[in-house]
Order: sequence, then structure tokens, then C-alpha cells
Amino acid sequence: MKCLITNVTKGPESVKKKQQVFSKHMTGKKTQEHLEQFNNLLAEMMSATGAKKGSLDQIRVLEISYANFPGLVCGAMLGEMGATVIKIEPPEGDAAREATYYGRYINGVGLPFVIESRNKLSVTIDFNDEEGIANIKKLAEKADILIDAMKPGHLDELGIGYRQLSPSNKGLIYVSVSPYGHYTKKGEEFRNIPDTDLTAQSESGYPALSGNPKAPEPYNVPVKAGIWAATYMSAAVGVAGILTALIHRDRTGEGQMVDLATYDALCSWPGFSLVWGFTTERPRTRVGNYDWCLFPYGYYKAKDGYVTVSAATDADFRSLIKILGRWDLEDDWRFLFDRIADDPEKLDELEAEMKKEIATHTQEELTQKTLAYGAKAARDPLRSKGFPMVVKTLKPEEVMKEQHWKIRKSFLECEIPDDGTVIIPALPPRMSETPAKMEWLKVKKGEDNEKVAEEYGLKLKKK
Amino acid sequence: MTQDYFSFTEQLFDPSQSASKPEALKGIRVLDLTRVIFGPMIAKWMAMFGAEVIKVEEPEAGDDWRTGTYWGKFWKDSCPYFQALNPNKYFAAIDLKKQKGKDLLKDLVKKSDIVIENYRAGLVEAWGLGYMAMSKINPKIIYISCSGYGQWGPLRYFPSYDLISQSVTGVARMTGFSEDYTYKLPDYYGDFYPAILGVVGLLSAIHHREKTGKGQYIDIAQTESLMRAMHNWTYMNLAGEDLTQTGNFDPTMAPSGIFKSKDGQYVAIAIATNEQFSMLAEAMGSSELAQDPRFSEASQRLLTEHADAINTILEKWARSRTAEEIIGLAREKGFPASALMDDWKLTQDPWRKERGSVVEFEDDMYGKGTWAGPPVSLQKSPGRIKHLTRPIGYHNRYVFKEVLGLSEKDIRELERQHIIGYWDNRVGKRPPSYYDIAEDEMFNYKRDERT
Repeated sequence: MKCLITNVTKGPESVKKKQQVFSKHMTGKKTQEHLEQFNNLLAEMMSATGAKKGSLDQIRVLEISYANFPGLVCGAMLGEMGATVIKIEPPEGDAAREATYYGRYINGVGLPFVIESRNKLSVTIDFNDEEGIANIKKLAEKADILIDAMKPGHLDELGIGYRQLSPSNKGLIYVSVSPYGHYTKKGEEFRNIPDTDLTAQSESGYPALSGNPKAPEPYNVPVKAGIWAATYMSAAVGVAGILTALIHRDRTGEGQMVDLATYDALCSWPGFSLVWGFTTERPRTRVGNYDWCLFPYGYYKAKDGYVTVSAATDADFRSLIKILGRWDLEDDWRFLFDRIADDPEKLDELEAEMKKEIATHTQEELTQKTLAYGAKAARDPLRSKGFPMVVKTLKPEEVMKEQHWKIRKSFLECEIPDDGTVIIPALPPRMSETPAKMEWLKVKKGEDNEKVAEEYGLKLKKK
Repeated sequence: MTQDYFSFTEQLFDPSQSASKPEALKGIRVLDLTRVIFGPMIAKWMAMFGAEVIKVEEPEAGDDWRTGTYWGKFWKDSCPYFQALNPNKYFAAIDLKKQKGKDLLKDLVKKSDIVIENYRAGLVEAWGLGYMAMSKINPKIIYISCSGYGQWGPLRYFPSYDLISQSVTGVARMTGFSEDYTYKLPDYYGDFYPAILGVVGLLSAIHHREKTGKGQYIDIAQTESLMRAMHNWTYMNLAGEDLTQTGNFDPTMAPSGIFKSKDGQYVAIAIATNEQFSMLAEAMGSSELAQDPRFSEASQRLLTEHADAINTILEKWARSRTAEEIIGLAREKGFPASALMDDWKLTQDPWRKERGSVVEFEDDMYGKGTWAGPPVSLQKSPGRIKHLTRPIGYHNRYVFKEVLGLSEKDIRELERQHIIGYWDNRVGKRPPSYYDIAEDEMFNYKRDERT
């Protein structure tokens, strides 16, 4: 199955037309010469020709996962960076295939599974028979990285866990991916609990931070993130852990076990909850459209739809009220510390004024006025005039029409036989020497059984 | 499971042994030219796993986030968020607007492996401190630029912030109940998620350099990072309609939601598979639900009408059980459920402390506190916290003497010309008021000087 890159009609030239800049440092002839060379490098990076290989070229990954989405994402990201990833699932298929939006499937496979199948080889192996286990052992012997996203201890029980595999493959990086991890007392007690994004968000305290207690029923409750915030955060943390272990191996030859608790990473990577917990000794209360550090920093209804306003520094705030024609507010709300939500009741007064003013403008007016202000302020010798940011709060369908992403090839289009095309987002780090790549999407169970069996000398049953 | 699996793993990951284990990134030197969250977090990962990270700040002003604290509260004259974002780093302060400051930075680049910056797109190139200039003086350098929209494309010069990136990608339209009850993702997800993908790019570049000796340039964007975590694009293309706010219901899993228990607690339950559903039905004492044609298969269960029906049944059941009972059943039967944690519970959580992802740490300058440890556990080369942040320019002597071999006299001259500098007296930038900096050996770092 081939993967075609979508809508790549515009090349570098479309960027070369005069662009609005917001810094005095970015103008002038000498600067332009400086930037010319840099632009050439970027243009080359964005039109990856396929000659360059990913940074994990030659690295072999075995992904053994079942009903575990962070495990799938880890495998996919490694694949995007050029590793050879063999996804192993039982003959009846990984149950992760079942989850999908409103019951809509592609070739009978759920969307999240399809999206995270990128660049993988699909192999089915029966875990219940000896031959199957022998096959996995054979594959593991040649693997650099093994992702174990099964119930903690399950592979160990089957004789293919870290302690059985590592003696004959000293360089093996064995990554265990599970809700509560493969060690600690709680990890053992809770090992039966499977992974989902929502329950991971909850165990990380994330929904406790969203929503508005003052909203009417039934909207006054803690609110989960509307994207898979925990799944993607923990998967990326897992990949970072794997690569850190890989560097350790590059330098020492030594493999190791890496343990990811998917119910934890959304708490321990950002870590701000802990800062609040330990300094105030109580949880935060939810503050709706406010932020705990910044104001204004939220969504506002303009005449023709929502805008997002971020104008939190004193200079940015001053410039915003100037644009809105409300300099009279300056006196009472001059400093950021006057404007943050330690006293939401008081802040409601300012919020009401902001809402009122913003509602009298269209989205376009606000965006253009603030951009013009920013461009002008950048030329100010003291650079003290601020730059309020106001953008239209876009719907994803509007996002897809933006030329910028087409030029950057942020979305990729892949053909699925008999089922049209699939659009997926690219892995974002753009790398000049080792670009990430999307080569194929394979969603049919066991599609690569024969190929892999031949290469590794396995005896695989015909599916 | 063999009985002793967890006692086997306990030995592998014993946090009390972490401090004496090797560090994966030891010997790698990173120049951290970043501010606020996105860039500093990339450098934090490097510093946690053993790289020598030199954070270069502007004298007197420093990182904006040194004063960007919640509710205007400071902790021992420092911003606790800033502490959380920048542990283990060395703090140097150079005025990069001056030519001599630029030269000093270039001297550091010659002796470094990685540069991280998050100025607006193109700005460092305009200053002559970008990848094009730096790779000429150090061809093996790995240089990562962090920005809102990326360094290329018509929007590249537009300013960005976590919330702006949430809005221009449409994430803003996903959380909450309706257009009028929409919420941002809290705690700057638009910084922390791009940061970890930046880490992924950077580490993979280090691996490539270990094998080939080649450096490279990396462009990482907040917006594209968020897009990678969204399923909207695929769904829209398939269904011809957009995904939008669905409250606490996850449309890929039915039933799903955050439910109120008998004892007034919030419990999250989400059912991803048929097997999990039959376990839930059993736990509810309603095994017949798993036979109901509306619910037995995910393809049926996920249809809006059926999902609503099963969510209503579950909601009612959850109200008849305490949170502890529900979690107990989830453990016994094996379906996904968890209680809703909050800041204070997370800080106290014995599980996380045992894992080492939350650590009680005692710092020489700031004393005791509870901080995030490494978010993933490495058996042989674990991450760790070694010290908290320090005032602006605190490590000037250490860095310029040890890395560049400058003498005390050289440093005095740089100070006199205001090429390097220190904190001013504002809170967040200076040492804590109780601390006697004149007696601090690191701040006054002496080195055997042969001259």
C-alpha cells in the first residue's frame, strides 16, 4: 500500500513573497542575506525527496501490545523515525482495533488503530501454543527494542519477558507500557486494570483542572481533555525514554528495561499539579475561562464567532485595551498580579468588560488590528509596547484549509486498498539529516506473516 | 504470572539506588537559550538524564517565567513553576545584544553538542547565532528551534503561545460541552506536548550522531505537535463531518465518562473493548447487558443512541456504589476505571513516590520540596533531580572557568563591560533573602589557575 503526500503543489516560492515580520531585527538587507541560506535549508527539509533515511534506520522493534493505545503510538513513532517495527497480535486481532469514533471503521478497523499503524509490519502469532512462543523468542533475539504493552507480568509468565530474553540479547531495550507500571506495590495490585485515555487523564488529575464550577447543571463538573491528551503524552514520554536508553546503549553496548506508567505521565511530565500541591497543600479550584497565571488568556465571543486572546504581560494588556479603546481600565488593572485569578469574583468585573468590548468587533477586525499593532510596536526602539495576540478560534475543518500546512506537508494522505484514502498528521520534528517518514499503513491482520517468517526463519501458520 | 515477577522488577528499579547509577547523557553539553515552558522543558529532559545544560539568560531580566507565577505567589523568593521547569541546569547570563556577548556564546558553541532555542522564527539567524552560523564553527552541532508554526511557511513569523497553538489547530474546539462551554487544555498542554516531541527529535539526532558523527538542524512546532495528537483529520476525511466537544464522553469508547459515585466522588470509566464490556457488565451484576445486541459489539455500542443508553445505565449504577467499590471491582474483573485525582492527592500519592516520578527533594539553597521526577523509569540509567534552579548568572564563574578556561581577571573584565551579568533585585531573579550568597562556593567558584 503506497502512501502519497497530499496537495504538494506549492513549493518554496510561495513563501518567498513578502512576509509580515514582527521584529526590527528581521528587516534590512544584511539580515535578508543571513536568512537566505537558512531559507534554502528549510526549503530542502520541507521537500524531503526520500533519499535521506530516518534516524532509527537499522533499528528493529518488536511491538507486542493488546488493547493498549500508548503502546501502539510508541511503535508508530519509532516507525516514523525509520525503525523496522513488527507489530505482533494474536490471530483474532488486537482488541484495540475495536475502538473508534461513533462506530465508524475503515476496512473493519477502528480509526485510532489505523492512524497508529503507520510503517508497521503486521504479524499474527498464537500466544497459546509453544511454536508461537518460540517464534517470538526468535524475533526477540534480533530485536533492538521490544515494546511490551500487555498486562504486567504476562510475557514473563509466557517465558518471553525481560528476564528470559535479556541474557541472550544483552543489548535489548525492553519497554514495558502499562497503566500502573511493572513495579511498585500498587503496580502489582492494579495490574488487571487496562489502559484508556480517559482513565489515565483521571488518575493524572487532569480533568480536575478543567471546567467551570459556576456553569449551570450539568456543565459544572470536572471536564476531560477533548483529545487523547494522556495517551499521546505518555506515548511520547515512552519514546523519549526508549531513545535515552538507546543512547546509553550506543555508548556502553548495554540494554535495559524501561518502564512507562501510562496513568502517570500526564501528571509527572508537566508537573505543575505537584507544585500547587506542595506549595498550597490543597487542590486548585476550577476557574473556567481563566488561567492561574495569566489574564487575559482565554476564549471570547466576537461579533461573528469566537476568538482566542493571549495578552498577559503588562505591555500586551495595555496594548490590547488601547486597541479596544478602553484605556480607562488601565488604572485599576495595570499589573498582571491585579489580573490573575486568585480572586475570581473581582476578576469577573474585568472579564465582563473584556467580553463586552470584544463582542463589538469582528474576528477579522481584532486579528488585523492586533497584528498591525504588533508590527508597528516591533519598530519601537524601546520594544516596550507589547503585542497582544488575538486569533480566530478555528474549527479543525478550517485548519485543514490553511495553506501553511500544505506547504509544510503537515498532513499526509495514504491509500487504503478498496477503501479510499486516509489522512493522517505527520510526526512534527523536522530534521535536516534524518527526516521522519510515512511509508505505508497496514491494517490487515497478519499481512506480513510470510515476509517476516521468511526473513527470520519462523514457522508461521497461514492465517 | 510467576509470583516473583514484581520482586524481580522491584530490584531493577529501586529508587534508592538511582543516584549511584550511570547517567545516559553524561558528557553531552547543551546550550539552553530558551524561555517560558516549551524550550526549557526540552532542556530539562536532557538535564534530568545527565547532560550538562547551560541555561544562558539575559543579565538582570532572565527567563520571563522567573516572575510568571500563579496568583503572584513566590516560594522563597523564587517562582515555583520556574523551579519545576529548570532543575539540574547551570545558570549563566550573557548579553547577546553585544558583539562580545555573541562571541562568548560562539566560544561556548564550539565546546557544546546541542543548542536549543525558542525565539521567534528566524530571529537567531538574523542575529548571526542560528544554525547556519553555528554549524560553521561546530559542524557536529545539533541545533533545535522551537516555535509556534515552524520556521517555514507563510505563518512562520506569527507569534505563538500554548493557547494560540490550541486555537489555530482546533484543539480549542474539542474540550467541553458546546461552543459556549468550551475549555482550553489546562496547564499549557500546547507547551508540554510539543516539548516532549522536541525531546524525541533531539534524542534521535544524538543517536544518529553517535553512529555517524553528523549533527543536524531540527524545526519543531507547537501546532504540528498538537495535530499529531488529534484524530480529527482522519475522521473528517472519512465521515465528512468534524469531531467536536462531547463533554466527558469519549466517542471511541462506550460506555465512557466521569461518573459520580454514591459517596460523591468522581470516577472515570471507559470501555474500549468487548471483553472489557462483558467484565463491566459482570461487575454490575448485569451480565445480560453483554448479550444485548445493542451493546455486545463495539460497532453497535458506539452508535450514539446505544452509547447514550448504556451510559445512562452505567451512570445510575455508579451512583449506587462507592468509588472504592467501583475501583475494587475494576481491579478484580479487569475493566478501565480510576478515581479522579487532584493536585493535593497527587502530591501525597505513595504510588508515585514509590515509582520515583514524584520526589521529595532537599536542595542546598531552597530546602525541602515535592517535585516531579523522571516521568519514565530507566533501569540502568535513570533520570534524577540533582539541584533546583539558581539566580541569574549564578554559575557564571563555574561555566566560564571550567568550560572556556577563562581566568578570574577575564571574568572581571567581562563583568566590567557588562557582557556577562547577574540578577537585579527583583523577586524571582535573586537568591532567597535568607541565603548568604557571598559564602556560596559555587557562585564564587575558584579554580586552580596556572597563570
